[in-house]
Amino acid sequence: MSTLHVVSHSPFTDSRLDSCLRICGTEDAILLCGDGAYGLHTPALHTKGVKVFVLAEDMQARNLPLPDWADSVDYPGFVQLSIDYDKVNTWL
Amino acid sequence: MSRSLLVISRQAPWSGPSAREALDIVLAGGAFDLPIGLLFLDDGVFQLAPNQAAKAVQQKDLSANLQALGLFGIDDVFACSHSLTARGLPPPAHAQALDSQAIFQLIDRYDQVITL
Repeated sequence: MSTLHVVSHSPFTDSRLDSCLRICGTEDAILLCGDGAYGLHTPALHTKGVKVFVLAEDMQARNLPLPDWADSVDYPGFVQLSIDYDKVNTWL
Repeated sequence: MSRSLLVISRQAPWSGPSAREALDIVLAGGAFDLPIGLLFLDDGVFQLAPNQAAKAVQQKDLSANLQALGLFGIDDVFACSHSLTARGLPPPAHAQALDSQAIFQLIDRYDQVITL
């Protein structure tokens, strides 16, 4: 079973992304949105081997470069991801 | 057959309503015989610390709710061993400690998961 983890808090003020990386499996993916998009500045993200997605508008609003280890999605893409994965774990 | 739900509680007990609300969700689910589990992660493990005095900050004690989990038929109560160790907490009385790999397998087992 695969899980899409949705993280919307900056990893520089909060431990959500750290904990998420610690407990997620290789079939899982992480979707960064809101201030979670600052996670693109976290190199540890791609060393774990999980897929990383970022919500395009949140990335653009913050002028963040898209690294080659992440993919950007729009809202329809977000919906599609939530269908493609068995479950969605939103880190509220 | 109802879909199973894992609630992950990661807020310290007296910083806001989140800790109590996560417990209430689990107790309500248990009252309706839903297959439900509870995992304490990050600062959430502080809810399991012994001998807290909620009255000192004009809050209601959560330990009675924790003890009620068993009465409501909720036996799947877990805590992250990494979070416990990082915070110098002893093995909890009301939860089973799990390492990161076991937590990944735990999440895998449930149909739905929510992190509060």
